[in-house]
Amino acid sequence: MPAKVITVRNISKTFGQVHAVCDLDFEVEEATCFGFLGPNGAGKTTMMKMLYAKCTRDKNCDGTINVFGFDPREHELEIKYLSGVVPQENNLDEELNVVQNLTIYSKFYDIPSAQTNKRIERLLDFLELTEKRKSKIRELSGGMKRRLLIARALINNPRLLILDEPTTGLDPQVRHLVWDKLGQLKKAGTTILLTTHYMEEAFQICDFLILMHKGRKIMQGTPRDLLAKNIEKYVLELPQAETPKISGRGLLSHIRIDESGETARLFSNDIDDLKTVADLFETGRFHLRQANLEDLFLKTTGRVLNDRQ
Amino acid sequence: MTGNNIRPYPPLTHRLFSVWYRHMRVYTKYILSNAFPPFLEPLIFLAAIGLGLGKYITESMEGLKYIEFLGTGLLVTTAMFTAAYECSFGTFIRLEFQKVYDGMLAAPVTVNNLIVGEMIWAGTKGLFFSFGVLCVLAVFGIVDLPHGLAAPLVGFVTAVMFGALSLFVTSFVKTINHFNFYFTGFISPMFFFSGVVFPTSNLPRFIQPVVELIPLTHSVRLVRAMCTKHYQLSLMGDLLYIIVFTVIIGFFAIRRLKNRLVN
Repeated sequence: MPAKVITVRNISKTFGQVHAVCDLDFEVEEATCFGFLGPNGAGKTTMMKMLYAKCTRDKNCDGTINVFGFDPREHELEIKYLSGVVPQENNLDEELNVVQNLTIYSKFYDIPSAQTNKRIERLLDFLELTEKRKSKIRELSGGMKRRLLIARALINNPRLLILDEPTTGLDPQVRHLVWDKLGQLKKAGTTILLTTHYMEEAFQICDFLILMHKGRKIMQGTPRDLLAKNIEKYVLELPQAETPKISGRGLLSHIRIDESGETARLFSNDIDDLKTVADLFETGRFHLRQANLEDLFLKTTGRVLNDRQ
Repeated sequence: MTGNNIRPYPPLTHRLFSVWYRHMRVYTKYILSNAFPPFLEPLIFLAAIGLGLGKYITESMEGLKYIEFLGTGLLVTTAMFTAAYECSFGTFIRLEFQKVYDGMLAAPVTVNNLIVGEMIWAGTKGLFFSFGVLCVLAVFGIVDLPHGLAAPLVGFVTAVMFGALSLFVTSFVKTINHFNFYFTGFISPMFFFSGVVFPTSNLPRFIQPVVELIPLTHSVRLVRAMCTKHYQLSLMGDLLYIIVFTVIIGFFAIRRLKNRLVN
């Protein structure tokens, strides 16, 4: 049995009238990548903050949180010392340059000066920032800032890396670079916890996912299992205006239709059923593809915006 | 992992130091523009008062020439102002706009460490600013060294006290404009009614208790006594006031800011 780095049982968090997190349970195994998936306001960030005592759980909540054997209520320093956090918003020190930003954080962990420079150079190299070592923060692109935030979180060789939407707003090159680096860290034994609402990110790098909605866990599993168990294999996308063509032909017995806005999506496990439907339309009017996590996400969390988004 | 990594996290003194170090590095990044005012401001003030207004004030105040009276007071007002700005506008910007604290609190630092580190940093700035004024006063022969060197220490405790008070005020502030009330309504009047510009002993009797309540009054008494070597037992009361005020207000500042930083 692989070691459990995090164990969370029946944790709830309420802000005023809003139930940010409700009765959440999960476990994270060492050296895996664990993802929280969910729309904005689902409670993903709140849950992660409770792990390192940036948020407190409800006072009357009788659940437990265990990170490396510590409860963040009493042992926040032990947990923080073993973890690195990459925040959603950039909070680098604008007054300082790249290296100085890292030096300041090396002091928080009391890293001996003799090791600090070596470690900083290694991290800059790892995140491909060496050329920017003397740059001011405002001269960095969004992607470089995010990489620097990751380098900063790694300054104490954390055993647990927590990332809040690590690739939001980044271009595809940087996004793939970040995924690649996270993969390398995982191989080296780091446990990774992240939130995202990019389905591709979840699918590509997470070993295990929980899907959250309005503070609750609604599904969990490996990305492949989630797809296999909860949604049809294939989707045919058509303009909504064309759907009258197919009704009444007896084609829809094994097909689920989801209509919203301008598009109708036909779901089925049998690609031939969908092909038969598709044959009624000219090429270019339809799109036949495999179902993905995004379809599952929208199926389970709904297409309509809720009041927290 | 090296052998000395047995302890699970850095000790308290180091955690406070690391918070102080962060502020020091950011502040000294622009050392020239930041270190200029503490030396220039007292120079302008003393020139204007000493060469200008002072000529008309012939009466001695508490046995001092006016320029000595005012100059020694400036040793602590400069500490008060720098601490008040640092822990109001400075803290608020770090808290709300730059989100600096969110980053620091992800490192092995507690909210208590963070706020106490902030106060110590304010104290350090107070020490430095008082030292700047002292240099100017010493050059003009207004304060004698070496006993005048005690003044920056009074600057330090004064700045820690106003750091704590300003953090407490910041804990209530929702928009940065609210600080105008604090500065115009509290800090500026304190400058005039705490015995810096004129002796408070001649103020109407019903104002006297208010003067005793004002924190700056006690700093001014301490620093003036240090500079003029008028040591007396009642100064212990002033020091006690500063310590008790700092501890109590600091305690509530931490408690209130904790609710804001950890939700």
